[in-house]
Amino acid sequence: MISLYLSHSSWLHRWPAGIKLGLLAGCSMMILPVVRLDLMIALLLATGLLYTTLGDRGWRHLEMLRPLLPFLAVIMLFHLWAASLYEGSVSVLRLVIMFLLANLITLTTRMSDMMAALQPVFRPFQWLGLSARSLALAVALMVRFAPVLVMVMNNLDEAWRARGGRKHKWRLIVPLIIQAIRLSDHVAEALTARGGSSGITVRPQKNQEITNNEQR
Amino acid sequence: MAWFARKQKNYIPHEEAPLHPEQSEHICIEQVDLQRAGDPFFQQISLRWNEKRVGLIGNNGSGKSTLVRLLNGLMMPEQGRVSVFGYDTVKQAALMPALVGFIFQNPDHQMIFPTVAEELAFGCEQLGQTTQEARASALALLREQGIESWADRPVTQLSEGQKQRVCILAVLIMKPRLLILDEPFSSLDLPTRRLLLQLIHNSDTHVLLISHDLSVYDEFDRLIWMEKGQIRADGTPDEVISRYIDAVNSSVND
Repeated sequence: MISLYLSHSSWLHRWPAGIKLGLLAGCSMMILPVVRLDLMIALLLATGLLYTTLGDRGWRHLEMLRPLLPFLAVIMLFHLWAASLYEGSVSVLRLVIMFLLANLITLTTRMSDMMAALQPVFRPFQWLGLSARSLALAVALMVRFAPVLVMVMNNLDEAWRARGGRKHKWRLIVPLIIQAIRLSDHVAEALTARGGSSGITVRPQKNQEITNNEQR
Repeated sequence: MAWFARKQKNYIPHEEAPLHPEQSEHICIEQVDLQRAGDPFFQQISLRWNEKRVGLIGNNGSGKSTLVRLLNGLMMPEQGRVSVFGYDTVKQAALMPALVGFIFQNPDHQMIFPTVAEELAFGCEQLGQTTQEARASALALLREQGIESWADRPVTQLSEGQKQRVCILAVLIMKPRLLILDEPFSSLDLPTRRLLLQLIHNSDTHVLLISHDLSVYDEFDRLIWMEKGQIRADGTPDEVISRYIDAVNSSVND
């Protein structure tokens, strides 16, 4: 899932988020021009080693690659068709290494620290009137509710199969969307009850006008 | 585009005077009318209390959830006036989040942040603390509750009871003067109910609790029974519960 954060501590947890993100950017820039397969394999092994330092059975997190495999296969096929096995292997390994490095940071950095480190990046948006706090909230909400939506989907699927549904799973899309909209209503209400954020509120319109007047 | 407003403005009740100082000790609903789906639902409904522990019961659709949403300004009366400790819920709506804490039935609808500490810290930030101060307050509360290890846990990994506990703490950390709970225990087992009830009883705030489990009202001061948008009974929990059970029995036997 998206909320992958490891709550136990490792050496990488203690590094500031900004340094980790900077290093990731640096590493990615360095890996991009590499075209030799033996170097790529060495880099992959080094990245794998980093995972083992995460603590007890840290290498297990390498299995997060699995959902990526079909995409990697497609990329490989494209390279086989357009170029060669050698080039295909290099580009697939390059993607794998970059993914694993980025994932290493996701595993060891708290979302709020990540957002704090990214504040300077958001600064230009402030010029457009977008507050950094709204963006941070949007990201937090996404991370929070992605697993919830998966849960909703599983519940729908269970209810569907409990009543004998098997094929045509795509039919669950519409109820999923409806549930998601209802869920967002509830969340908006709860957010309003706790004071809203950056002017986001679902209070009745008449109220809004009154508070707006007070703010002026 | 109020959405992208540049700054969050924080409203703290003690910095603004109540609009109805004569009611500053009471929670007050005065002659309120409200429509539901185009039909009149509340008609001249009035209630006033300052007891610390008040319960609200009634069948589904009787208007309990609507009534409590009037108290934090999530809904507005069409006629009449609602005030909480003298603060007008319509004209001083911006103060309500800090004054009235609200716990919903489903914790998954309420938790906005991916980890426990962030969830608690949000309330403190709403009250004007900096990010660091807010995190420190959140950790302090978790320590006080003996659940410091929860701080960086993803909320999706908590059990239902643990989630609801986090929700209650996330609201209590804002130190509201009135805490409203809308069927908070409906999907929880008995030990968890007891634990959360204890948490509520230990807090210093006024409490308004909606529950279908009538046993939770043992130590309550007052119980209100609603039916079809009206107050059917209002008194001590023992008295109101026995009348309610009698009415349910006779309607089922008919």
